[in-house]
Amino acid sequence: MNDDVVVQLRDIRKTYNPGGLAVHVLKGISFSIQRGQFVGIVGTSGSGKSTMLNILGMLDVPTSGNYFLEKVNVATLSDSDQATVRNIRIGFIFQSFNLFPYLTIEQNIEVPMIYKRVSPRIRRARALELAKVVGLGHRLGHRPTQLSGGECQRVAVARSLCNDPAFLLADEPTGNLDEKTGNEIMALFHRINKEQNVTIIMVTHNPMFEPHYDKVIRLRDGRIVQTKPTDSVDELTGPLSGFGELPQDRMAADAKATLTTTAEQEGTSK
Amino acid sequence: MMRFTDIVSLSFLNLRLHKTRSLLTSLGVIFGVGSVISMMAISKGAERSALSQIESMGIDKIIIHTKKPHFDTTSGSSGSNSVSAVEDYGLDIRDYQFIKTMENVHHITTIRNTRQPITRGETRLDLKLCGVTQGFMKDTSCHLTTGRWFTEIDFKNSATICVIGQNVKRKLFPLGAKDVVGSNLRTGTASYRIVGIIANDNGTSLPEVGSPNDMIVIPSTTDMAIYGNYASESQGRRSNKAILVDYDVMLVNVANLEYIDNTSKRLQNYLDKAHAKTKDWDMIVPLDLLKQRERTQKIFTIVMGAIASISLLVGGIGIMNIMLASVSERKKEIGTRRALGAQKFDILFQFLIETVILTTLGGCVGIGLGLGLSEIVKRYAEMPTEASMTNIIGSLLISSFVGVVFGTYPAWRAAQQNPIDVLRSE
Repeated sequence: MNDDVVVQLRDIRKTYNPGGLAVHVLKGISFSIQRGQFVGIVGTSGSGKSTMLNILGMLDVPTSGNYFLEKVNVATLSDSDQATVRNIRIGFIFQSFNLFPYLTIEQNIEVPMIYKRVSPRIRRARALELAKVVGLGHRLGHRPTQLSGGECQRVAVARSLCNDPAFLLADEPTGNLDEKTGNEIMALFHRINKEQNVTIIMVTHNPMFEPHYDKVIRLRDGRIVQTKPTDSVDELTGPLSGFGELPQDRMAADAKATLTTTAEQEGTSK
Repeated sequence: MMRFTDIVSLSFLNLRLHKTRSLLTSLGVIFGVGSVISMMAISKGAERSALSQIESMGIDKIIIHTKKPHFDTTSGSSGSNSVSAVEDYGLDIRDYQFIKTMENVHHITTIRNTRQPITRGETRLDLKLCGVTQGFMKDTSCHLTTGRWFTEIDFKNSATICVIGQNVKRKLFPLGAKDVVGSNLRTGTASYRIVGIIANDNGTSLPEVGSPNDMIVIPSTTDMAIYGNYASESQGRRSNKAILVDYDVMLVNVANLEYIDNTSKRLQNYLDKAHAKTKDWDMIVPLDLLKQRERTQKIFTIVMGAIASISLLVGGIGIMNIMLASVSERKKEIGTRRALGAQKFDILFQFLIETVILTTLGGCVGIGLGLGLSEIVKRYAEMPTEASMTNIIGSLLISSFVGVVFGTYPAWRAAQQNPIDVLRSE
């Protein structure tokens, strides 16, 4: 068992039931992501990648199957705990940036830290630090409307990083940008991934960026049709080594403890 | 959970972002609270002045006064030949003698209007020359501004002296003469030396004779000595009718307030019998008036409260409506916040606090509006108003409460928003 598995999905299925007609969106997805990997989930529209993203982001629950985030089966977490996990373990990046237009850049970066109850002084210092990382250290007082699309996405990246998440979850981050700016953002992701060893999961339909990815998961019609480099058969379909024999609740308790200690460490380290 | 300060500052930010909408939203509360505050202040002022007027008559008194009866000119007691030259009516010396000996009567202060015309040149001034007994000062709650009050000796000697009310001084000495006390006052054939000036600040108004401020007061003995039993009253240019009135007002002071009801009933019985022929008297019991007034006030307050709660209800529903619209408009924000780690509680509180701040600020503006309105009423309608701190704090609390009541449902709806919606909307 590799300790550095950040995300592990096991036979995830999602069925929508609009008007009594079952629609199988995900038909048994299994994969795992190691810490520090830059993973691309690619596929055409309707391939199920949005649903995949929602499940990875804990915004949606699978109909069946297990999702382990740093060894925690997220299905065992309460709504409140899931919010906490989203807050401190997942960094969301959206296609349309989703910055708050009435907040300054600095305040936008601070939002996840507000929900983590970080004190204002530390928040400001961290926001400045991250703004420098994405190259916007001089624009903290501006508002999103005064920024270009590429700059907005940089702010969103800074925001996603502020609580030191386990992984960044980026949904078509270049979808609203022109090619040149898109490439710059990809370069930023690449740099963050390599320099800071941040795990990144990117959902996109753009095949251009595939060279950036350490791992590509290609979806079609709710199934994984290709994984590059190819996962072992064991990883895809076999039993989860080390997890199978543990009782479910014990696992969850252990993992929650890990989560809280991580949070505490982060709290004290600042 | 977010820190409370962060929630509050976020709410303010959002409200500032939609200034016009916030203002329009809270208009209901603003006007509701404004009208409540101003109406309360006006009614309180009216109540206060009414009560102080009643109280200034003295709640330990029974006021009986002469009331001019309707004289039937065609079938008078003296037959059909002529109008009687002397009108004899009202409270007389026999009544005085009897009432004085009644149980629970402490003392009686009497006032008689001599009905002498007080003029300056040709103009008749609205002033009254009244003969009063010793207790007048205290029983009409007057105080001396200068000079002195009558002594026992003045009464015994029927001294030709007078004490004038402050309005009398203003009317007779409009130029503000310095030596008012000591100067002489001529009315008709008599001349009185002014020995003092009195004032009544409570707005006391006695039946028949009016305010002590408009009186020229002389000792009752002097009144008797000069004018006798007849008080004359000019009835137009030609005829001068003689009127036989012994007392215009009797202020009957009771010894024990507990039995004032009983005393007033016995007084009524006596007067009914003694003046069986014509009802030429009336009785006022200030304590009864006070109680009645308080009852009326209580009803008024309940009605006001009902109107206020309806207006706040309407305002609250308006706010709920707007907040619900705001929730669906801000779905994207809510979804993003949830994705970034906001708990349902955070969202709930954000919207709830926003609503409460809105209504509380609305309440503050409403209080300002209400105070302004009552100030305008006070200044231009010359009505007394009185804003009470209880009302102000009460309205503030109630407007916050309205925020909680009508903000909870929209906030709950906001918290229940599915965060997937935001990502699906891409």
